[in-house]
Amino acid sequence: MNFKKQFMEGLLTKNPVTVQLLGMCSTLAITTSLFNGIGMGLAVTIILTCSNVLISALRKVIPNQIRIAAYITIIAGFVTVVDLLLKAYIPALSESLGVFIPLIVVNCIVLGRAEAFASKNGVLASAVDGICQGIGYTVALVIVCVIRELLGSGTFGGGLLGEGGAGIRIIPEQFPAMQIVMPVGGFLVLGFVLAGSQALMKRMNNKSKKKEGAK
Amino acid sequence: MEAILGILIAALLSQNFILVKFYGICPFMGVSKKIDTALGMGVAVTFVMALASAACWAVDVFMLQPLNLGYMQTVSFILVIASLVQVVEMFLKKFVPALYKALGVFLPLITTNCAVLGVVLVNAQNGYHVADAWQFLLSVVNGAAGGLGFTLAIVLFASVRERVDKAEPPECFKGFPIALITAGLLALAFMGFSGLKIF
Amino acid sequence: MKQNESIVMYVLRLAGTLFLITAVVAALLACVNAVTAPVIEELNAAKTQEAISAVLPGGFDTEITDFADETGIVSKVYQGANGYAVEVGPGGFDNTITMMVGVDNEGKVLGISIVSHTETAGLGAVAAAGTPKGIAFRDQFVGMGAENDILVEKDGGKVDAITGATITSRAICVGVNAALDCVAGLG
Repeated sequence: MNFKKQFMEGLLTKNPVTVQLLGMCSTLAITTSLFNGIGMGLAVTIILTCSNVLISALRKVIPNQIRIAAYITIIAGFVTVVDLLLKAYIPALSESLGVFIPLIVVNCIVLGRAEAFASKNGVLASAVDGICQGIGYTVALVIVCVIRELLGSGTFGGGLLGEGGAGIRIIPEQFPAMQIVMPVGGFLVLGFVLAGSQALMKRMNNKSKKKEGAK
Repeated sequence: MEAILGILIAALLSQNFILVKFYGICPFMGVSKKIDTALGMGVAVTFVMALASAACWAVDVFMLQPLNLGYMQTVSFILVIASLVQVVEMFLKKFVPALYKALGVFLPLITTNCAVLGVVLVNAQNGYHVADAWQFLLSVVNGAAGGLGFTLAIVLFASVRERVDKAEPPECFKGFPIALITAGLLALAFMGFSGLKIF
Repeated sequence: MKQNESIVMYVLRLAGTLFLITAVVAALLACVNAVTAPVIEELNAAKTQEAISAVLPGGFDTEITDFADETGIVSKVYQGANGYAVEVGPGGFDNTITMMVGVDNEGKVLGISIVSHTETAGLGAVAAAGTPKGIAFRDQFVGMGAENDILVEKDGGKVDAITGATITSRAICVGVNAALDCVAGLG
């Protein structure tokens, strides 16, 4: 398996959010501060990697007819473990993400990768796939977070930096459009981020075509 | 009565499951290209959400709580939902084949609709999971109302989207980006309801 | 179905596999829960304790269980030498906001502190934040009494609501009112 290729796929060409359009609920709901984005991204990456490894290891044992139920049980198990650990050791994050932590169970990225990749590939490749897709998801989340936080609250690094976790103020308090932090902004910002990624990929395609043409 | 009306208004308008709370975005984006399929999905989801609320209430109140197994909530709820969706699918196939045909493709998708698991977890959080007939009713009403809110949002969205699809957006906005922006504008409209509350 | 396999064996194989997976998952969760449950409980207790000492100087001696509450949102009342700490749970923008209201022996607000909430980051969440804005918002309740209903400016009251979070601010007013009424009822 080509690690570099998998990495590029996860990050850009097959990014779970911008290309596969998976896991939209969490992408929209919790991307209001940098802290949330990074926390959610890491939680999903860990769960995705663990479930990918276990499902890949068990792929020959689990009968085909009950595979979805089996996958979902395994995923729900890992999600609960992460949920309990967060509650006990990082309570601030667990509070801030709320019900969206248990909802990782139905985050289509995890089940989607189990079905599309882990059930057909070896343990090592599945682990790499989990990490790469997780990183791609985290990067997409962080981009949306940074834009929404900057435009909506006028700060950077909310929950992590600044006095009392208020973030570093970049735009003076009276200017930011708080609607961007509200649901409306979630849809709009994600729409523009998707458009940006489509434009970027098109440009890359054109370039590689030109290269081939030059040869 | 007032409590039920309050739940209905919140779930349909001011706290709409999709446009305000962000549950169930995947089917919202995925199955909203045509009004009739959107309506079918909405009805199926409403049905499953009401059933799931009832079933999970029972599982939580009569099994998990007495045994002190609160940490098994997520696992058992998702299993209940998954098997419920299977049962509904088999039931419809056998007894209401016309409806099964109309909904067929969407039924299995409902398991991974986070609106269903979401409403059940919210019910548990709201303290509806108490052995009391009234609380049971509130759970089921909240489930059904959440489903109706989902239906309202997805049907409205589909009817706008049918038109938007015929328009010519800039190249890089084609497909999902423009759909998301449409949804954003719809959410903006729903923000107008945000102060609405009946107690 | 594999060849030469009877229907009974087939069903048993499927059910058995699924049962085994569920059992392993349940066992794993039980282990993790055994480790985390005491930590979570300790955290919650510490949080309540912290919220009480934040709003009631000198802390509390006893918990009062027979209090009158018309609103149905008062969950706990603690009594100390300097007054009361009342835990209330008004409905916020997203979900219930759990907060602690300190009330002195004259029935005036000593302070409020938010125990847990799920309000929108950057908007309603400001009410609970440790930022200057959040502290200023909470401090304006200090000294208010039950003689007038506490309301936000928009509703004709004196409370300066958080920008863009009128519903959260209103909810907190509802909580403070309930706490004051409850303490007044204690006599």
